[in-house]
Amino acid sequence: MIVGTRKPLAEIQGMVRGARRLLLAGCDTCVAECVAGGRKEVGELAAALMMAFRLSGQEVEIRETSVDRQCIHEFLLEVVEAAAGAEAVISLACGAGVQALAARLPETPVFPALNTQFIGETAERGLWLENCRGCGDCMLGLTGGICPISRCAKSLLNGPCGGAAGGLCEINKAKKFDPEVPCAWLQIYDRLSALGQLERLLELAPPKDWSQGEAGGPRRVLRPDQRP
Amino acid sequence: MSKKPEVVVLACQQALPETGPLVEALEGAGLRARAVPEPCSSKIEAFHLLRLLAVEADCVWVLACPEDACLLREGSRRLGKRLEHAREYLREIGLEPERLNLTRLSPGEPVDLTRLATDMADTARTLGLNPGCRGRGPKKEQPQ
Ligand code: SF4
Ligand code: SF4
Repeated sequence: MIVGTRKPLAEIQGMVRGARRLLLAGCDTCVAECVAGGRKEVGELAAALMMAFRLSGQEVEIRETSVDRQCIHEFLLEVVEAAAGAEAVISLACGAGVQALAARLPETPVFPALNTQFIGETAERGLWLENCRGCGDCMLGLTGGICPISRCAKSLLNGPCGGAAGGLCEINKAKKFDPEVPCAWLQIYDRLSALGQLERLLELAPPKDWSQGEAGGPRRVLRPDQRP
Repeated sequence: MSKKPEVVVLACQQALPETGPLVEALEGAGLRARAVPEPCSSKIEAFHLLRLLAVEADCVWVLACPEDACLLREGSRRLGKRLEHAREYLREIGLEPERLNLTRLSPGEPVDLTRLATDMADTARTLGLNPGCRGRGPKKEQPQ
């Protein structure tokens, strides 16, 4: 899922400066799971903005809506309807959702309420971890299902480095993490060991073709069989 | 516009099954008061608290069971965390976090309503009207 965090209220207020009728649009999938942009968070932000605007002497009308996926056009019909009359829309989706909504609302400015952080998972209640960078050439098959690109601080393809201690990545020495960051390569070792596949570590991963990832410019997937 | 501060009490029915006397005591102390019975404090979300402050209340007071006596095990403890999360919004806006409050009452034990109402009334009077609430509006609308 996509993990995001809310922007400071002052930044959001600044973006919609001058607008008197706002629509807040949530997304009830990824960003609801990470408690940043689902319908409950829309309710929180709407109430908080209402109060913040009043304190600065403005009365702003704020409506709320939320859909299952802002990144899918078909789901956006409801938001487009709800946006009628709004002078600005604040989207609580990830960046993909904000852009999909903006494409549907050519005459209404759409602003992001979240900072989109990463593709990740809910590791524990209240803790989300990055576990994929969308590198375009997945190597999880070699690493026991643990991604060294996103989970190793150095994105090593052949690890570990020499700095791990007590199962922990040496990045913990440079910065305080709570909980501490484990060494992804030690996790890979433990996992392959449990699977009886340690011999996989003898295969040297070749240099990676980063052009398959974000280094290769805007990416797209084109499926002729799915085209109109 | 009434100048009396309004307190909205969200009362877990296990913690305080009968809210009438508390509301009377608050009104007797010169406040406006309304109580909303809740099936369990675990049902109260941060957006409920903030919305009440935005549209109606000068002060919101949650009455919950002690953390280890919640019907839903972790409900009361987690409600406490959500209330703190809602208070963070108030700090960010520049409103007093004490406009959101929580008191834990043991189910089945006698409640000192006079003391509770006095605490609430003192807090509400000290804070005064909530300038973030609809209809309080101490500031003039600014021209565009
Ligand atoms: S817009 Fe799509 S990708 Fe983004 S948070 Fe919502 S469901 Fe996830
Ligand atoms: S190897 Fe690449 S595609 Fe696979 S999980 Fe890691 S970043 Fe994502």
